[in-house]
Amino acid sequence: MTVLILTSEEDVTADMVVSRLHETGIPVMRLDPADLPGKAVLSAEYAHGDFDGHLSVNGHVLSMRGLRSVWVRRPGEPAAHAAHPSPWLTAETGQALFGTLHSASTRWMNHPRNAEQARLKPWQLRVAHLSGFAVPPTVFTTAPRVAQQFTEEHRSVVVKSASGPPRDDPALALPTTLIGPDTDFSAVAAGPALLQRYIPKRADIRLTCVGDRLFAARKTAEPGQVDGRYGDTEHTWEAVPAPERIGKSVHEYVALAGLAYAAFDFAEDEDGIWWFLECNQGGQFGFVELETGQPISEAVARWLSPRKTDRRVTGSHW
Amino acid sequence: MRPFTLNYTLPKGLPTVVMPYRFDTSRQLNVLPNGRPAVSDRDLLLAAGTTTSTAGSQTHFDD
Ligand SMILES: Nc1ncnc2c1ncn2[C@@H]1O[C@H](COP(=O)(O)OP(=O)(O)OP(=O)(O)O)[C@@H](O)[C@H]1O
Ligand SMILES: [Mg+2]
Repeated sequence: MTVLILTSEEDVTADMVVSRLHETGIPVMRLDPADLPGKAVLSAEYAHGDFDGHLSVNGHVLSMRGLRSVWVRRPGEPAAHAAHPSPWLTAETGQALFGTLHSASTRWMNHPRNAEQARLKPWQLRVAHLSGFAVPPTVFTTAPRVAQQFTEEHRSVVVKSASGPPRDDPALALPTTLIGPDTDFSAVAAGPALLQRYIPKRADIRLTCVGDRLFAARKTAEPGQVDGRYGDTEHTWEAVPAPERIGKSVHEYVALAGLAYAAFDFAEDEDGIWWFLECNQGGQFGFVELETGQPISEAVARWLSPRKTDRRVTGSHW
Repeated sequence: MRPFTLNYTLPKGLPTVVMPYRFDTSRQLNVLPNGRPAVSDRDLLLAAGTTTSTAGSQTHFDD
């Protein structure tokens, strides 16, 4: 029984899990959907009401019947490395690969359908509220007047993007930025703005949830600091216990969202409240493990390892 | 008109260091020139930035 890891070759965070799996002798196949077709080969035959098939890459072979679990870590687009890539080829290859994998009886970290839903930021805030987290007032709008009013009401507001920085320009960053009511909001009509009440924070919190295991880490913020990812400070990530209430809400959230893995971002305010900012279903954990020593890669490897298939943990509704 | 949110982009210093590891197809992980797995070198990984939260955001929107 083999663990399938869908990720790029340069993903060293996946290496952390691959080496754990090697230590415990569990067979692994690491495949980048970008390498299909080409370096990787797929065959799946529909016969007797089920798919039977094989995936192979670099001399490693996986039988669909021997699939233990799938970890969707940081895969490339299907067919991205093909000799003649095209949107059509990506769609065809995606159908062949994911269509077959979805038919297999296996556990997913995370199931692509749940992952897709979990990326939607407005939906995240709603689920966070239902799970009992404190969520800062937030607006998504293409109406300049609404953006103006929201900012006048809350005075200190941050702008961030819902989908991350523009992907066609890797040289651009889009840090979360503090703005005030004197901002010119006319350009809101040209693209939706995501505005949120500024939380004066003592610390950033990153909580990684792997199955039912929680790893919370805290990094002290500089006074007045907004986006903790830019600009170096003296402070580093330190392991902290997750308050019981937060733990309950995390479990509630991942159950509602059908996620086996999730990385939560919180801002800790001066009263010690953890404000929910977002939940990244594919959030990076390498930096947390390296700085805190928390055994996250081991937890991921363990989650991927059981032999027996239990579909319930994927939160799938068939 | 440029979408509002793009008024807040900043140029990002792209990493210029070339990482000394390469993907080992048989072990299915990255290795250093001495054959040791890249993950055995904690300082290198931290410096590489490939394990940080901004690194992912370059190519992925859910980091
Ligand atoms: N409402 C807020 N008040 C204060 N700081 C905030 C607020 N929202 C976000 N930040 C800070 O900005 C940084 C990034 O926040 P967040 O994770 O919400 O942004 P993002 O652009 O969605 O990031 P990602 O690329 O991880 O998806 C964090 O350091 C966070 O503390
Ligand atoms: Mg974030």
